[in-house]
Amino acid sequence: MQISQQVTTLVDNLPKRLVNFFARYPPQIHSAAVRRPAPAKDQDYTPKKVESPYTPDRDAKGAPGEKKFGWTPSRALLVTSEKVRNPFLPHKRYGKWEAPKYGLRQQADLMKLAIKYNVDALLPPSRKSIEFKQTRRAERGLQVKGTGVGHKVKGHKWERTMESRLEERRKAMEGMPEMVRMWKQRGHGRGWRQWPKRSS
Amino acid sequence: MAKKAKSRTIAVRLISMAMTGYYRTLIRPRAHRPLSMMKYDPVVKKQVLFLEATKGGKNK
Repeated sequence: MQISQQVTTLVDNLPKRLVNFFARYPPQIHSAAVRRPAPAKDQDYTPKKVESPYTPDRDAKGAPGEKKFGWTPSRALLVTSEKVRNPFLPHKRYGKWEAPKYGLRQQADLMKLAIKYNVDALLPPSRKSIEFKQTRRAERGLQVKGTGVGHKVKGHKWERTMESRLEERRKAMEGMPEMVRMWKQRGHGRGWRQWPKRSS
Repeated sequence: MAKKAKSRTIAVRLISMAMTGYYRTLIRPRAHRPLSMMKYDPVVKKQVLFLEATKGGKNK
């Protein structure tokens, strides 16, 4: 009786938005705490491809070593059972991706509210959860946008070709005394055969 | 109509053999043999051999 009273007061203290959410998605079914345990890498369950619409092929700027569909601890956190749909994750249905019921902005709002009232463990697995963010930070370290770590920089053409051009110039200068000697020997160009071609 | 007569002189490009991309443009008589001379290349900061480049080298 006492416990139920405590629960009632806790629910009363929660903001209406969270109460409505928990009424719609009861924590005993949807929460991150009761979800299927995250598959470990060395267990028999190792998905070859963790499907996600957030990693499209058109993204050519990814970090060079990163696999787009590989197993990572953070991705494993977002794997939920097929039967109970996670309202925070996109869902593949009839071969097409359906948007999550709650977009990332709404997820972030809910998560912030839940953290404030210390009930964030009752929300479904989300990209905005503290656990996900910490796991991802542990995985990626300093690979944050803007730091340049794990990014490829194309650079200007003169920067990309600088090395080969300097090498060519160095070789040419090494052979220059011999070339000048030959040129003088052949009458300062009178008997010269190998005229350069104009490239532009 | 008769074709316009070719000029007696032509402008030629002398390319630095130091492969720096530096060149000089000179004018020589059309009938003269190709030019070649030692000239200063400011990129390598030395006197190097400059040779006349044949025209239309890109397509040939």
